[in-house]
Amino acid sequence: MRAVDYVPVRSVEEAVAVLAEHGDRAAPLAGGTDLIAQLKEGHRSIDLIVDVKPIPELMELSYDPAAGLWIGGAVPCHRISRSQVVRRHYPALLDSTTLIGGIQIQGRASLGGNVCNASPAADSVPNLIAHSATCHVAGPQGTRTIPLEAFFVGPGQTVLRPGEFLVGFRLPVPPAHFGAAYLRFIPRNEMDIAVVGAGASVVLSPDGQTVQAARIALGAVAPTPLYVPEAGQALVGQPVTEESIARAAQIARDAARPITDMRGTVAQRKHLAGVLTARALRIAIDRARGTKTVDSLGRLNGHA
Amino acid sequence: MRAVGSSLPRVDAVEKVTGRAPYPGDVDLPGQAWMKIVYAGVPHARILRVDVDRARAMPGVIAVLTAADVPVNEYGLIMPDQPVLCGPGSTPQAEYVRWEADHVALVVAETPEQAQAAADQVRIEYQELPVVTDPLAAMEPDAPILHPFDFPYPYGERDRRSNVLLEYHIRHGDIQAGFAQADVIVEAEYRTHAAEHAYLQPEAGLAHVRDDGRIEVIVAGQWMHEDQEQIAHALGLPRERIVVRYPAIGGAFGGREDMSVQIVLALAAWKTGRPVKIVWSREESIVGHHKRHPFIIRAKWGATREGKVVAARMDLISDAGAYAYTSTKVLGNATLMCLGPYEIPNAWVDARTVYTNNCPSGAFRGFGAPQAHFAAEGQMNRLAQALGMDPVEIRRRNVLREGSILATGSPVPPGCTALQVLEEAARWWLPERAVAVQGAGSRPTVEGGAPAQHSPEGNPARRLEPGRPERPNGLFQTSLDASRRRVARGRGLALCFKNVGFSLGFPEHCHAWVELHGGAEIERARVGCVGAEVGQGAHTAMVQIAAEVLGLEPERIELVAEDTDVTGSSGSSSASRMTFMAGNAIQGAAERALARWRDEERPARAEFVFRPRPTTPYDPETGASDPNITYGYCAQVADVEVDLETGHITVKRLVSVNDVGKAVNPQQVEGQIEGAVAQSVGWTLLEHFVQEEGRALTRHLSTYLIPGVVDVVEEIVPVILELPDPQGPLGVRGMAEMPFIPTAPAIAAAVQDAVGIWMDELPLTPERVWRALREAGKAPVP
Repeated sequence: MRAVDYVPVRSVEEAVAVLAEHGDRAAPLAGGTDLIAQLKEGHRSIDLIVDVKPIPELMELSYDPAAGLWIGGAVPCHRISRSQVVRRHYPALLDSTTLIGGIQIQGRASLGGNVCNASPAADSVPNLIAHSATCHVAGPQGTRTIPLEAFFVGPGQTVLRPGEFLVGFRLPVPPAHFGAAYLRFIPRNEMDIAVVGAGASVVLSPDGQTVQAARIALGAVAPTPLYVPEAGQALVGQPVTEESIARAAQIARDAARPITDMRGTVAQRKHLAGVLTARALRIAIDRARGTKTVDSLGRLNGHA
Repeated sequence: MRAVGSSLPRVDAVEKVTGRAPYPGDVDLPGQAWMKIVYAGVPHARILRVDVDRARAMPGVIAVLTAADVPVNEYGLIMPDQPVLCGPGSTPQAEYVRWEADHVALVVAETPEQAQAAADQVRIEYQELPVVTDPLAAMEPDAPILHPFDFPYPYGERDRRSNVLLEYHIRHGDIQAGFAQADVIVEAEYRTHAAEHAYLQPEAGLAHVRDDGRIEVIVAGQWMHEDQEQIAHALGLPRERIVVRYPAIGGAFGGREDMSVQIVLALAAWKTGRPVKIVWSREESIVGHHKRHPFIIRAKWGATREGKVVAARMDLISDAGAYAYTSTKVLGNATLMCLGPYEIPNAWVDARTVYTNNCPSGAFRGFGAPQAHFAAEGQMNRLAQALGMDPVEIRRRNVLREGSILATGSPVPPGCTALQVLEEAARWWLPERAVAVQGAGSRPTVEGGAPAQHSPEGNPARRLEPGRPERPNGLFQTSLDASRRRVARGRGLALCFKNVGFSLGFPEHCHAWVELHGGAEIERARVGCVGAEVGQGAHTAMVQIAAEVLGLEPERIELVAEDTDVTGSSGSSSASRMTFMAGNAIQGAAERALARWRDEERPARAEFVFRPRPTTPYDPETGASDPNITYGYCAQVADVEVDLETGHITVKRLVSVNDVGKAVNPQQVEGQIEGAVAQSVGWTLLEHFVQEEGRALTRHLSTYLIPGVVDVVEEIVPVILELPDPQGPLGVRGMAEMPFIPTAPAIAAAVQDAVGIWMDELPLTPERVWRALREAGKAPVP
């Protein structure tokens, strides 16, 4: 690994100034679980690491009953998965923050890093989309907010302009009778890159029998994380039945545009997009009805 | 206290868990330089020119060595068919590269970064040659020939115009008459894949020229004296000029049986006069050492209505890769073991190992037996199903017993316990399942994932401590497991045998000495034996056996094992042989030392070379031989769940019944069983070394997936039998490879039981299982 300079920054303004000055020769550092590996392997070349962890907003995890959840871009997964607020209101976040990497990785890795790395297979993205997250970005021209589903351009590419960086995410307060889930398929049971990922959220009628709103997003089936609004739309106003779940899963499967690579084939990935969508929807529905809870390790209870 | 039979702490435990034990990469010497190897990067080419001028001019560079610098530019464990460095300037054979990881140049510099920077400046001019990666294609008449040059070949005449490195044949009984007697015949083609050892410690080492002028190589290997021999041969030096020293070794599994950095380190230290160090990255390790042999096995077996196997015809092809390594020896094992641990009166085996431009294949735990048994046990399970017979019962009717005649015409060595191992496994198989298994595929599809509980009642041989907590169900359940609605469950069984020690006429032996110190009483003993401690616990076992024979507390035994000067060869830490061989050698030396002690010699010292009963090579036409010293036996019962929507297989429980003769250290025996099962589950379900056009695609542990803690079987039940091997020290039987061997066929049988599909190609990845389910119309729509 080539020697690289390091500078910690203490405010958003300072970060913007340093990043704007050095352009693409600098990169923000949060947990470093992608960046450091990429530098070591020679997949990326920069001169300056800009450590954004000293910026208070970047490490802030807070909930406001009006504004919702703020997740600073550098907050590590383990803090998110241990948050009682997250457990209560944002269950799909718990799913993804307990399955990214392994325990050591979760101690460092941040959602900001996972999103800005812009892998089509990023585990945090489908559920952040399911939770209607928006990205808060700061740059030389000031700040702007971007819906997460509009953040990605291609593999490794985002809408961030030169000098801009991701400050954090805002997730709205979930309505009543809301449930969400994220599932990932890998050949083994932990520490791997998704063959397919699926995030789903639902809002049910007070009696839990009808879907009032739904959002479905997929990972690893397109050049970017894929929001499939038509799959969620197909559920709106529908009774909660296996048939309606299967229809939404079918739409998600048809929307998937995967490639064949070492991790999976086109046919397998399309199939899994349907399987995982259906399963994630069932869990989201159970959570919306309050029939399933999540234990201290983020695993599902309430199953036989 | 008796030393043998106690789960004493390992002699190296404290050093290893505190991080004090030096592994090869931890060893440094003042003034050391660093080496970087320049790899070929292409799988088949003639090297026209190697331009090192720019590299030599780079900062910090001490030397850049090429083929012309190697005194005897060839090496190989069985035959010297591999150049140390490829390129012009030595032999015609060395002008060619046949493997992407062939070594072309060595760059020695002051720092690792300088060595890397200079290595990047070495320019190699190639004339590329056609690449052959399929062993079947490599046997076609127009295939590119990888080894058209002569080299010393230990099996008679080699056809230099063929890529077939060696053929073996067994002709036993009358195969046509055998099939004529059969009421059922089952045929299948089995395919197994290349796999990586993935030991914790990537290759590393340090070599230097000592004050006495000898070259010392500090490295991790499996067989010190063979490393010494191969280094000396390539350097054109007498063996005595080389000292090989093993510090702590981070795993081996057969992957360190062939040379990696040994020769090049010695060469660089000798040529530069500097201590030279190298540490391979994980990628260099994965790409740069051999793999488990892929096999294609075509099988046709026939049995009578009564379940007696009357004919077995097997055709084996193994992919040797670019160089011989131990391919011929692995083939020798597979040739016999593809018939399983059964007495089959009429057998016909054709086995070939074939050069290709793939990564060389070589030793890996089981040494051909896992591949061979995947076919043999698959055939046995198919026959059971075809006959509507219980898988245990059909084995009972064919299994090797004391005095059984092998297909090589010789009796199985005394102490054959295959039947006892099978009968113990039968207790875990549960007889009532004999009915259920008839309608394979009829296992009920269940809702949810609650695992069934099975355990035999009051099993005296089960060495688990009473009250040992089982893993709570669902501890390892992932959210995806928990989301399953449709799973199928199945149970499968397989049996195996595996040779202990080297086979087919190899002059097996092991050196040891024992030195007794004290006055009236023996106060302490020193034991010299250089069997490699590769992490398996060999040194602890040696100390325990010495303590037992000498009647001393283990604390009073000092084991001397560090380098080739200690004593003669102990042979390789492989073939499940080290405790068996070193135990016999130490026992012999200890008994002789005790006799001298009684004759009042002080200190009393004795050396002993253990030589087991000789074996004989296969007859080239018929395979007639007395192939092996002795065998170990293992049977396993696997319980699986198949996710019908994703094809993902979960092994819920795996019972492994192992006859170990005498458990020198029961805890370590359990550790070997659990480790073997974990490794074999990886091979069966996950691990797949993928190569395309002679280039490795799975070059990192992010793409070469080994099982993690949550992927290993939820419950491994190690069942230890102690039926003495009459040739073993204190009854010890080799055991380290055996629990690897039945895992794949037991899991495949369990999958078949669950979903009614025979999966004959490994690994059983979710994608393959799902595809098979879909093709069989058994994959439900979500």
